Amino acid sequence: MPNPSEKTKNDDKDTELIRSINDGRQDLFYELVNRYEKSLYNFGLRMCDNPSDAEDMVQDTFLNVFKYLEGFRYETKFRNWLYRVATSACLKKKRRSKYAPDRELSLDEFLPANESDVSVELPRWASQPLDQVLDGELAGVIRQALLDLPEKYRLVVVLRDVEGFTTQETAEILDLTPTNIKVRLHRARLFLREALKSYYEAD
Amino acid sequence: MKQTDPHRCHENCLVLFERLSEYIDRELDAPTCKDIEAHIKACKPCQVCLETLKQTVALCRNLERRQVPDTFSLKLKSAIFDLVDKKAD
Repeated sequence: MPNPSEKTKNDDKDTELIRSINDGRQDLFYELVNRYEKSLYNFGLRMCDNPSDAEDMVQDTFLNVFKYLEGFRYETKFRNWLYRVATSACLKKKRRSKYAPDRELSLDEFLPANESDVSVELPRWASQPLDQVLDGELAGVIRQALLDLPEKYRLVVVLRDVEGFTTQETAEILDLTPTNIKVRLHRARLFLREALKSYYEAD
Repeated sequence: MKQTDPHRCHENCLVLFERLSEYIDRELDAPTCKDIEAHIKACKPCQVCLETLKQTVALCRNLERRQVPDTFSLKLKSAIFDLVDKKAD
């Protein structure tokens, strides 16, 4: 058990709460749930698109966190550890092939096939302020495109761009190198951009 | 990245294409950023490529978050209550 008076490099708003829980105030675990249930539920929805699977994932995550919280190492941020547990729960829940089959994305598939495909005009969806374009329809296109991404790319783009983790944090959560995260993230973003382009060009 | 020869320009577009996300995320060193900015200024297709990718990232960052259904929230807290109760015994 770490010394409660000892400050660690990752002391954040959760650290004190976790120390109290680990010191016997288990009733305070509800506070952790209140802090993170909405984030985790939305993470689950992005990863599974099935509210029932998302709920199962959130429940499995919190039950595992409760079980293993005593072993939490204070040198990492709790939020990063929580998402590591959640990612593992997500992978167990995954419905292989229902949405995106696992496949590699290559940069080449996002390059214009020939000169005439190169756009020199900014499309409307990319030139307008976010609050004018992010309506229900566009959000739906992004949500579906996320689900169409092969899982290993989806995990990276959801953690980085939707949940807001840094490259280094995402690498720690997924046990990958930062270089690997950058490669996957770029391909995932290009995939999403293609989905948006296709949707608007088809109009 | 300032050459105007079409072949060289295409090569530079490809180099930039591979690094656009790192550029957006400010993960590149200053000289590389400067090269990219000089190229983008002179290359309309790369400007479009950058702006569409930036907007894609912005859209992901601003996706609306749904509320947790009350029924599930209660179920979750009840499952935790059982665990807390068991541990207290």
